[in-house]
Amino acid sequence: MSAGDRARDVLARLVDASATERILISLASLVLAIAVGTVLILVAGRMTTCSAQSAVYYFNVGFCYDPVLVFDRLFLGALGDPFRGGWSPDGQFSIAMRETTLLIFTGLSVAMAFRAGIFNIGTQGQMIVGGLAAALGTLWASPFLSGTVGTLVLVPFGILVGAVFGGLYGMIPGLLKAYAEANEVITTIMLNFIAGGVTLYLVSDVFKDPNSPANQTVPLPDYAQFPAVLFGSRQDFSLYALLFGVVMLFALYYVLEHTSFGYDVRTSGIQPEAAEYGGVDAAKTIVSSFALSGALGGVAGALYVTMVIGKFQAGVPAYGFDGITVSILAGNNPLGVGFAALLFGVLKSGTTVVQFATDVPPQLVGVLRGLIILFVAMPEFFRLIGRRLLPEEDKSRAVATDGGERIADSRASSDGPSDGGVSGGEDE
Amino acid sequence: MATAVHLDGITKRFPGVIANDDVDLSVERGTVHALLGENGAGKTTLMNVLYGLYHPTEGRVVIDDEERTFESPRDAIDAGVGMIHQHFMLVDPMTVTENITLGNEPTKWGNLAVDRDAAREAVVELSEKYGFDVDPDARVEDISVGEQQRVEILKALYRGADILILDEPTAVLTPQEVEELFDVFEELTEQGKTIIFISHKLGEAMRAADDITVLRDGKNVGTVAAEETTREDLANLMVGREVLLDIEKPPTETGETVLSVSDLAVDDDRGVRAVNDVSFDVKAGEVFGIAGVDGNGQSQLIEAVTGLRKLKRGSIVFDGEDVTKRPRRERIESGMAYIPEDRQERGLVMDFDLVENAILGSQHSPEFESNGRIDWESTRGHAEDIIEKYDVRPPNPEAISESLSGGNQQKFIVGREFERDPSLVVAAHPTRGVDVGSIEFIHEQLLELRSRGVAILLISSKLDEVQGLSDRLGVMYEGDIIDVVDPTDTTEEELGLLMAGQHPDEHDDAPTPDVDGVATGGENR
Repeated sequence: MSAGDRARDVLARLVDASATERILISLASLVLAIAVGTVLILVAGRMTTCSAQSAVYYFNVGFCYDPVLVFDRLFLGALGDPFRGGWSPDGQFSIAMRETTLLIFTGLSVAMAFRAGIFNIGTQGQMIVGGLAAALGTLWASPFLSGTVGTLVLVPFGILVGAVFGGLYGMIPGLLKAYAEANEVITTIMLNFIAGGVTLYLVSDVFKDPNSPANQTVPLPDYAQFPAVLFGSRQDFSLYALLFGVVMLFALYYVLEHTSFGYDVRTSGIQPEAAEYGGVDAAKTIVSSFALSGALGGVAGALYVTMVIGKFQAGVPAYGFDGITVSILAGNNPLGVGFAALLFGVLKSGTTVVQFATDVPPQLVGVLRGLIILFVAMPEFFRLIGRRLLPEEDKSRAVATDGGERIADSRASSDGPSDGGVSGGEDE
Repeated sequence: MATAVHLDGITKRFPGVIANDDVDLSVERGTVHALLGENGAGKTTLMNVLYGLYHPTEGRVVIDDEERTFESPRDAIDAGVGMIHQHFMLVDPMTVTENITLGNEPTKWGNLAVDRDAAREAVVELSEKYGFDVDPDARVEDISVGEQQRVEILKALYRGADILILDEPTAVLTPQEVEELFDVFEELTEQGKTIIFISHKLGEAMRAADDITVLRDGKNVGTVAAEETTREDLANLMVGREVLLDIEKPPTETGETVLSVSDLAVDDDRGVRAVNDVSFDVKAGEVFGIAGVDGNGQSQLIEAVTGLRKLKRGSIVFDGEDVTKRPRRERIESGMAYIPEDRQERGLVMDFDLVENAILGSQHSPEFESNGRIDWESTRGHAEDIIEKYDVRPPNPEAISESLSGGNQQKFIVGREFERDPSLVVAAHPTRGVDVGSIEFIHEQLLELRSRGVAILLISSKLDEVQGLSDRLGVMYEGDIIDVVDPTDTTEEELGLLMAGQHPDEHDDAPTPDVDGVATGGENR
């Protein structure tokens, strides 16, 4: 058995893994990433200098950085130390939740497009456009209302405006792809730059807050921002927004799995020729999937404005790009996006805690974060690749270059890993 | 004459498929040898074995009386074998000279730079030697397809090929360019080169080859000298006579015209005209069959009828309404069922289970969907019904389509389409890859639909199938329906001739009058 066969075997096993196995694989990957990270921290700790008092000692060897402390801060510190006394929701924990909430929406945005077979790199741009639109819309509407009524009307209104404009901005690459065959990866990347540039101009000139040196709009009145419940308002997090995100996770899952629109989307995503055969209008599906994807990105922008910073400011953090990783991590499954966003949110929150609590340089923390994401994402990534590769090689589709016939009864019901090594009949 | 190529007992197995089954092939030096067969007969696979792209599972490759084992095309090129693929491997923005010498450029200054003058000279010399008319300085993107093909041939010659393999070389050419290509063949063989070309067109093989080998289902079913054979014999060899299944066809009353196609012109994916002003009608309760060697425009014709391919000209009237501009979905909803040619690409979503596949095409029909929500319960029941009635194995609606054998996939598609309650069934090779028992069942179901007044447009490369099932039979050749015959009054030999593009001089049975069945200038060559 050659190395290639063995690799194919592993791929086949990954592709066939059950849901429980996949969760176990992810957990094992996390442990492995921590193990590798530990080694890195120890090695880095040997290569720097520090006073004897501040060093930690393992087996009588002194290290400048303590991996136990680093990972403790990265995970438990990120959640505001739930196992120590005096835990309060209004601390580091709500930062983790805030990040999670925003990443749920950008992750869903990317996942939605992915399922339709589209690679939407433009979530960032759609988020920026949605954010500015939400800020301007809310500012325009806020003089008419105030108090609790204002909150009840203005917050949903801001989200709606963000969704509409994010959706419209998402439709642009959709239309270009559907009717001009423009590659969406290129157009969405370019549209990200356009979104960034145009909004920067708008908030540095037309809509600029005259009382502030920063490139930003006038702050939204308090009653037009997301109300904080349970959690204090200090960390700009609202439980309502998180609940809204969780509802959207299930909603998108339902749309994809239980509606005819979702059926069209999924069919186009995995087998466009069959979708065409089944009467799916490819162009319409691309445009509507892109619009929905953009709308989800726009909601992320609206939440960033109405929940986090309370105004629109140029230079929106890269939640949209993180959404791509979140979606891949989740295998593009809407429900999985929830877990992936949580992991990401915790890591983002933990990064700042580690920097406060230890001397570990931020670059090394970045490496640790990257390691964890890489390790957890890789099994899913290889599943994606395996699904693409294996049917071609192993399951006798498209083998004969001019459409050879499959022999009627061969391998009728055989599936599972036994399929793995059959392919390369050459090397015997 | 010496033998240039000898393939001895080549077998090439892919998982679940035997692409070549113990094929012997001998090609004499300085001759043109045609490899003839339908799509999927294993022609390209065999040539890929000769060119080192595939390793044979069994068998020997002998070049110039020396046994060879090719690890890659590089080895084959070193042994003097060159291949020109169906899709050219040229760099468009580069010149003819650059393309021909690419990878083997003459160099100067101690291998530091390409000697452009020497390269150009070599190309000019080469093209003069073989009487080729190409401009060495033209960019490839600016020259015609025929010229590009000559550049490909020159590239192979430049690399020292003595044996040239061409995969369907005429597929992209105009008739004039085809003639020019055959002149090139003559020139090359006069200079001692050996040519093997793949084709599924009888006429070309007869016209250009010295010897013809016919492949069918991966087997060599005969090698004949072109001068000693007839088109008819070749057609019979290609299509093959299978055990005739007795098809009991009760007489039925035909009703109104369900499908009316007029002056239909369709291009294939490469933009070459594939269907040329075809007209025909199909009535309720009638099977209209289309016979023909694969690749004569049948696929494009049915794709145009079912709404999967744009037409260049003409109109399609279905149930009294002009559906020429209607999208595919509306055609499905108005009662057009379609068993597609390629079940794994179109007919089933391979990653979906059978429940999900049971509503492919009817995902928006009120039977399974209300207010945008799919009722998976009733869909599941529907899938179970199809599985039971059409004996799909394993009888598990949750089975992923990919895990089913080809025959069972086909039965599921046939079941799904027949159960749509259609007024027209377009069936392309409905029994391809299906076991004998199921073939009979599918035929019975087809005739059952016919007796209920459904119009059926049947396309099959199995002669006994189209002949046995059809009430009227059109024969397609090079994009035209060159005749419409009564299948019961026509012999297989006559059909074979028609499929080869020859109109028998004496034809007793008059074609049905409502059909524009007379060949339109397609009486080529």
